[in-house]
Amino acid sequence: MTSGARVSSPGGNTGNVIRDSALGIVPETLEHYLALNAAIWDAGPLGAAEIELARLRNARHTGCVLCQAVRYDVAVADGLSEDKVQLIRDDDVSGGLSERERLMLAFVDQYNVNPAGISEALQQALLAAFTKDELLHLSLLVAWFNGSSRCAVALGGMPVEMPRMEISVPR
Amino acid sequence: MSWIAGELNREQIIARAPAIGGHFQRLYASFYQLSQIPPEVVELCRLRLAQLHRSEADLALEEYLLAADKREQLHNWHSVAAFSPAERACLELTEVHAMDCSAITDAQADAVKEYFGEAGLVALLQALGVFDGFIRLGLIWQAAPVGGKHHD
Repeated sequence: MTSGARVSSPGGNTGNVIRDSALGIVPETLEHYLALNAAIWDAGPLGAAEIELARLRNARHTGCVLCQAVRYDVAVADGLSEDKVQLIRDDDVSGGLSERERLMLAFVDQYNVNPAGISEALQQALLAAFTKDELLHLSLLVAWFNGSSRCAVALGGMPVEMPRMEISVPR
Repeated sequence: MSWIAGELNREQIIARAPAIGGHFQRLYASFYQLSQIPPEVVELCRLRLAQLHRSEADLALEEYLLAADKREQLHNWHSVAAFSPAERACLELTEVHAMDCSAITDAQADAVKEYFGEAGLVALLQALGVFDGFIRLGLIWQAAPVGGKHHD
């Protein structure tokens, strides 16, 4: 684990957390990154609170302290509570969550731990609880947040802990 | 057959959500157009990820045309002279990223920066995240990939 950031940020202060981060130094990917991140929040059938639950569960797997500290304001406005966030930090998510929420977390866990090993029982439970468009949205958002979270960790400079901070979706 | 979408392949499934999937596909394609890292190196790293995930279908894809000996000997890149120091630096980072991204050392990151600069390191880490995601999606959906054929 590094003690410092491995890459300099571009030095700008646009107010956009992606553009002002180290990601801003790769012009070939920056606009695609921004557009995809916004589309994940805006263009799928899942609501912001559900997206945030999946994002935070994924961040637990990747060990991204920053990702775990962030709350997107759209998710809070959509009803995401800190009580629920605490529930998804446990290995055992059997209590306090709806069946739909538990299945969502099961998908995130499967994606992270053993994507090739998804059981037929989980497949059938997911198909019964979600529409195919919702499952596609869930899949794409987990893939997106997992990859970007891994990138954040690998770029170094991650603190041991951070306070909760609420931000807007960068656009 | 995929449990999520029947006979569709991975790219066709992604295309069913064009407002999101289109951006994902364009981001994926952009990694083969980088000014910081040659597409050959990007492709080697994607293929190494496919090997580590044991995704034969992703390993069979040819997103960028490589010398046949490099494809064939990729699993032995540590001991094969055909791989350059710059390629080795990226492949080593790729392997650690696949196992535990928090385990990447400063020395491993510096090795990539030595050849491709800070922007190259960022671009490679972005690419690894997206490639890893596409491979995992194919595995969890049980949908074969067809790739984007970026060597046209």
